[in-house]
Amino acid sequence: SVAYCSNSRPHLAGAHASLKLPQEGQRTCILVDSREITSSSEVISSLRAVHGLQVEVCPLHGGGYIVSNRMVVERRPQSEMLNSISKNKLIEQIQHLQSMFERICVIVEKDREKTGDTSRMFRRTKSYDSLLTTLIGAGIRILFSSCQEETADLLKELSLVEQRKNVGIHVPAVVNSHKCEALQFYLSIPNISYITALNMCHQFSSVKKMTNSSPQEICVYAQVTHQKAEEIYKYIHHVFDMQMLPNGLHLGRLTADA
Amino acid sequence: MEGKPPNGTGPMHVPLGHVVANEKWRGSQLAQEMQGKVKLVFEAGLTPVDFYLPSRSCILYVTEADLVAGNGYRKRLVRVRNSSSLQGIVVVEKTQMSEQYFPAIQKFTVLDLGMVLLPVASQMEASCLIIQLVQEQTKEPSKNPFLRKKRPLISELSLLRTVQQIPGVGKVKAPLLLQKFPSLQQLSNASIQDLEPVVGQAVAQHVHTFFTQSR
Repeated sequence: SVAYCSNSRPHLAGAHASLKLPQEGQRTCILVDSREITSSSEVISSLRAVHGLQVEVCPLHGGGYIVSNRMVVERRPQSEMLNSISKNKLIEQIQHLQSMFERICVIVEKDREKTGDTSRMFRRTKSYDSLLTTLIGAGIRILFSSCQEETADLLKELSLVEQRKNVGIHVPAVVNSHKCEALQFYLSIPNISYITALNMCHQFSSVKKMTNSSPQEICVYAQVTHQKAEEIYKYIHHVFDMQMLPNGLHLGRLTADA
Repeated sequence: MEGKPPNGTGPMHVPLGHVVANEKWRGSQLAQEMQGKVKLVFEAGLTPVDFYLPSRSCILYVTEADLVAGNGYRKRLVRVRNSSSLQGIVVVEKTQMSEQYFPAIQKFTVLDLGMVLLPVASQMEASCLIIQLVQEQTKEPSKNPFLRKKRPLISELSLLRTVQQIPGVGKVKAPLLLQKFPSLQQLSNASIQDLEPVVGQAVAQHVHTFFTQSR
């Protein structure tokens, strides 16, 4: 858990400085998965330099960009959507995101052209069309980008639209060491997103306060849907039964659930 | 076709596997490619819509020329957007010529209007895509991997993992705690005196502090 804390250290100074500004909460914030750094450095620097957004790099474990309390954005090169192996990976990834987020957007980004390389020319396939229509059928948004700079612009636009709908990110992504322990605890709740865990960290005065909250309170403070709040509430109140553990985990007891 | 929409934007009943096309597409390459693969029916007076698909959706086709000409296409999009019950899918010709206008139409369609936008390079590509859309709507929703019901997760394992996030609690103490205080809520309300017999004095203090400390 030390890694999580040290991760936020470089931003601490900036966060303190901006606290003095009257419109601190107004600045749009985007959370970026640490794994995106290598593949999309231009997206990140574009977001910071060109659009002046507050970009926080966090270990999101799935989900490239969180642009609001409820929306995640996956950025995919077009070539990956054409290739059936990486296409299946994308499907799994989206299913995983569906368990945590209310809204999902996929940005299909044109592959970078290498000089003299014509083999990577885009040839539309039936499998690509079927992936697009399947996404549409499930209400997942799709945006098309020609380069990383354009992707950054689209991310900014998405976060602005979300902010106008009052679901913008309003908590600092930085956590002190006490909060860091609580953040890890909240993150272990099944199907919870990083931003939801962060909201819990900042909005509940103690972990005990959170575990004694009603679904309505969870809904307001964690900034989640009623359905999600109920799900979290059930988890907090779930009565542990050793018998339900899978085989071999505890003294070889038999499990009821295979 | 039953129930022709009064103003050309209302819902229209389209049987599965059928597409109702605006008369103006008769004889076009797009229509020719689609014929034979889906049942195409032409109707006059469908403007602003180009094609009606089953399940209350329709297609608005924006050509390369429309895009280059200016923002005239926007009126059509807004008309369909305002007609409630219909999902509008905008298919746009994104070619070398019209590429530079694409970001603007995308922002308007997807981010401002909240409609679906799909770029194609030609009428040929559009016909394949529309056929795919019809097929998607024909199959059962459960065939869509994104609409499948989620499997229920094993809460017991997750609970163990959650309890292990409390400082001082590892693989051994987590099940001991949960056997005595079987839910996270009950565990969070345990006093140091309650916790001590289960995990010892030091860890009891850690657990209690973790839950009650204001952050």
